[in-house]
Amino acid sequence: MKEQLLSLKKVNKFYDEAHILKDISLDIKDGEFITLLGPSGCGKTTLLRCIAGLESIESGDILLNGESIKDLAPNKRNVNTVFQNYALFPHLTVFDNIAYGPRIKKVTKEDEIKVKVDEMLELVKMEGYGDRMPHQLSGGQRQRIAIARALINNPDILLLDEPLGALDLKLRKYMQTELALLQKQTKTTFIYVTHDQEEALNMSDRIVIMNEGRILQVGSPRDVYNNSNSLFVADFIGDRNIKEVEVVERKEDFCSVKLGKSIIDIRTDRSMVKPNECDGKVYLAIHMDKMKISYDKVDNSLYGEITFVHYAGSQIRTEVDVDGEKVTVIEYQNDYDNYRIGDKVYISWEENGAILLPKEDIEKRGN
Amino acid sequence: MNTKGSKFRTFYLSLFFVILYVPVLSVVLYSFNKSSSTAQWTGFTFDWYLQLFNDRVIFESFKISMVVAIITSTVSAIIGTASAVISSYVSKKVESAINGVMFLPLIIPEVALGLSLLIFFTELNLTFGVPTLVIGHSLFCVPYIYFMVQLRLQEIDSSIIEAAKDLGASSWQIVKTIILPLVIPSTLTGSLLAFAMSLDDVIISTYMAGPTGTTLPVHIFSMMRTGVTPKVNALSTLFLLGTFLLIGLNQTIGRKGEKFYEEN
Repeated sequence: MKEQLLSLKKVNKFYDEAHILKDISLDIKDGEFITLLGPSGCGKTTLLRCIAGLESIESGDILLNGESIKDLAPNKRNVNTVFQNYALFPHLTVFDNIAYGPRIKKVTKEDEIKVKVDEMLELVKMEGYGDRMPHQLSGGQRQRIAIARALINNPDILLLDEPLGALDLKLRKYMQTELALLQKQTKTTFIYVTHDQEEALNMSDRIVIMNEGRILQVGSPRDVYNNSNSLFVADFIGDRNIKEVEVVERKEDFCSVKLGKSIIDIRTDRSMVKPNECDGKVYLAIHMDKMKISYDKVDNSLYGEITFVHYAGSQIRTEVDVDGEKVTVIEYQNDYDNYRIGDKVYISWEENGAILLPKEDIEKRGN
Repeated sequence: MNTKGSKFRTFYLSLFFVILYVPVLSVVLYSFNKSSSTAQWTGFTFDWYLQLFNDRVIFESFKISMVVAIITSTVSAIIGTASAVISSYVSKKVESAINGVMFLPLIIPEVALGLSLLIFFTELNLTFGVPTLVIGHSLFCVPYIYFMVQLRLQEIDSSIIEAAKDLGASSWQIVKTIILPLVIPSTLTGSLLAFAMSLDDVIISTYMAGPTGTTLPVHIFSMMRTGVTPKVNALSTLFLLGTFLLIGLNQTIGRKGEKFYEEN
């Protein structure tokens, strides 16, 4: 096993009274693509800035290659940042922007720098743009230059702060693929900050989900998507129906819970709640897109009346009233897209789409 | 309704320009008048310009004015820019203290400022001449450059500075490679302004000149005491021309500087 590249040990950060980062501990291996995901204000950007050295930490430690870097100035840390608004130097050409790092360090000769800059321009597919000024470039192009400017320094870690935030949807999707490829190509460790779950799921090796200054869950995209460990994560990742339900029966690997008048069985091997912990009320979370509507009776299903149908091209969102509880089902185009309001239907789901969550959140259980 | 309004606007604007520029135009016009009186037009001539160029005293005072203006604008550019950059690195409290100090020379009436400088320099036993002129002019020129550069500094995105830090630059390297290049356009426009202000200052210059430091505006002012001759007109015309050139230069530099910020 390779040593951890970056270790965060109980990192705490305050702004005046506000406790921004609470006991953040995280290990990152060399070559990983890690995404810090969370809503605005959850501390993800602050954590990134602490790693970059642009913010100091009040307690805890940050180890890079086993050595503490928490007291090093940003210019002494071998990490580089791609800023949200690119932060290109407006008075320098694209070439000079990229060459800034090596020139400042004065260890590389100018002709070697030229070779390296050209390599970088090729890497980000911007050959021939060296003479342009930043204001002559589009948002996507500036982003590439910002990445090239950071990567030319061969950083141990590349920190990316919502780098695609300012781009339009199409370009953003394209750049996601490009970034993931670039990461594989350069084998550089990426720590990527975003509030966009799709970006996170799409690109990352591991996702770190944060809220209110804490890490709630760390796992592969599949892991956090399917096996969310808390109400917050379940609500934040993917579209789920989340309902408070009553446990009526506990079995070895499933619980029977009551939603409205229906009693349904939920497998608990993926859930945070184990059958022996099922106590009174728990939360049931089911991915909307893992549910299915049928007119014929199905085992282990909910029964209700369609109250609304949203047609959105490739997918159909159907709202079903199940004994007063609104359940939303997302289905992709199929032969049965002619649901009518008022139809009585059965809703079933894939077993891995449903989990049970404890009533109080994980952070409050002191876990 | 609409046309009525626009007619009024046209009239108002025309009136404004007539009042502003007709006197200036008449100065230019009469500098080419044959008669030494400004009362009537008697014919076209370049005589007054020739007389002007042959006037040793005017030439000397012009030289002093230029020397003072050049040194003043250079010194003010350095002090003003440096102070502005420094003010961006100190605490808010110190910054507002510096701002206050910079505001003072702009608020104090020039008559009072000149008088106090006169008394102060006399106490110090300084000889009045070019050095005292430069100090006096710099006093009111530095603040202009300071505030112009400060404004520019505030426009610089803080993440640009962070990016430089992140890429390995020390504070001094950041000043040298990022901050100064970004504020230089403001420094240049500011020092052109300083140049123009120094060139046409009368009040402070009157106090600071001494026997050896009569600047051109001070000389023109003294020529007026013996009555206006078209020679003064000719001199003013040339002065005007010079000022227009300066403004043009200023505009070009300003526009070039703007480009950097367009999309940042």
